[in-house]
Amino acid sequence: MDYFIGIVSIVISGILTNNIVLNQSIGICPFLGVSKKTQSAVGMGLAVTFVITVSTSVCWLLYSLVLEPLDIGYLSTIAFILVIASLVQLLDIVLKKTSPTLYNSLGVYLALITTNCAVLGTANSAVILDSLDFFQSLMTGLSIGLGFTVALILMAGIREKQALYDVPRPFAGFPIALVTAGIMAMAFYGFSGLSFV
Amino acid sequence: MPIFLNIIVPILIVAALAGIFAFCLSFLGDKLAVDRDARIDDIERNLAGANCGGCGYPGCAQFAEALFRGETELSRCNPTPPENKKNIAEILGMGAFESEQTVAVVHCAGGNRAADKYSYQGFGDCRTAEIIAGGSKACEYGCMGLCTCVHSCRNQSVSICKDTGVSVVDRENCTSCGACVAACPKKIIGRIPKTARLYIACSNLTKGKEVVNVCKVGCIACGKCEKGCPKGAITLADNLAAIDYNKCIGCMKCAADCPRGCILPIGDGVRRLEKVKAARAKKQQ
Repeated sequence: MDYFIGIVSIVISGILTNNIVLNQSIGICPFLGVSKKTQSAVGMGLAVTFVITVSTSVCWLLYSLVLEPLDIGYLSTIAFILVIASLVQLLDIVLKKTSPTLYNSLGVYLALITTNCAVLGTANSAVILDSLDFFQSLMTGLSIGLGFTVALILMAGIREKQALYDVPRPFAGFPIALVTAGIMAMAFYGFSGLSFV
Repeated sequence: MPIFLNIIVPILIVAALAGIFAFCLSFLGDKLAVDRDARIDDIERNLAGANCGGCGYPGCAQFAEALFRGETELSRCNPTPPENKKNIAEILGMGAFESEQTVAVVHCAGGNRAADKYSYQGFGDCRTAEIIAGGSKACEYGCMGLCTCVHSCRNQSVSICKDTGVSVVDRENCTSCGACVAACPKKIIGRIPKTARLYIACSNLTKGKEVVNVCKVGCIACGKCEKGCPKGAITLADNLAAIDYNKCIGCMKCAADCPRGCILPIGDGVRRLEKVKAARAKKQQ
């Protein structure tokens, strides 16, 4: 039962209380770059969710089956970067072959994710800092990906409307987007009261 | 020696990992390679590569695939030079391809003849009005005349007609770049061949009765044009007439017949329509 509650708190914290973009300030680049249209935000969000989930699990396997037994845990960052980069390439190839529809909606963003810090950051924090077990790491990856998607879609919704408003010229474009992101982060801070433990 | 081992062994392990990944990738890359027709790549190479999105696809790669599958027409692409278009037509086996020029046209004639939902007096243009209850016109597909397309045009060839309040495209200056097509929030600006003599000036897909309620000149899908066309170039789909310009001979019968006046002449069609009308008037006498 405790284990189950632990999973629930991982999901809640990944999506709301510890949102990767708005609370941890990781993955800001796609958050500002791919949030101009809701449609592309959805595609990017789903692609990131997919990649984070898979890569966190694979990184967990690599860390506990290869790196720890060989006593080279300190090389995890390099190894994880290797894993993530080749995993994204692999997903690109596999998706292209097996599911062209999914590839058409996510494919454009896959290349962008190769060097996305949110993916590496999640793998790092779940596998090494928090030393979770396999299922917990997987759920962390999934919920953080969902949290990223939520933040991205909210931001895209706001920016789509914002593009039509009469924004003062010094603020037009990125400045107002950063201000918006700051206010959203403050709003998400309100979730920090949610706790299951 | 142990220090040496401590440095060399981890390097070797990481290198081995990288080697395994690289092997897997290249192996799977070969094994799962998608059998893509080489002709698609050829087509893509011949396209302008501007990725402007004027064709309605995200980029040239998608447009090339759609071309190959026959889902779209080559004339939708404007930046590609004519000689490249000829190459593409050859690749596609279309034989001698006459590079067809297109112009943008506004598929709406409503303007002040269409009912208003409310009077929009806020900041901005059509896109801002569109947010508020789907635009200021009672017709969901009607031109609001708030100039989004006018501002988007790089050649100043879109303007608002003073008589009707609908935006109109100047055929002479239009380069068919697609800027207005993409800018219009109502999606009622389309492209027709430059040789076209008439176009459907309505985009309303609702039933005839609803159209009558909101607009004086909207297509009610009565089917008169479809029945009267000697070449079968007009078909009704989704309560709206559509012209197949490959079949149309420009006899202007449909335009003269249309009880709503929403098939409008364009270019030398104007002169032809007058002739047809004059001939009919003589007959009646």
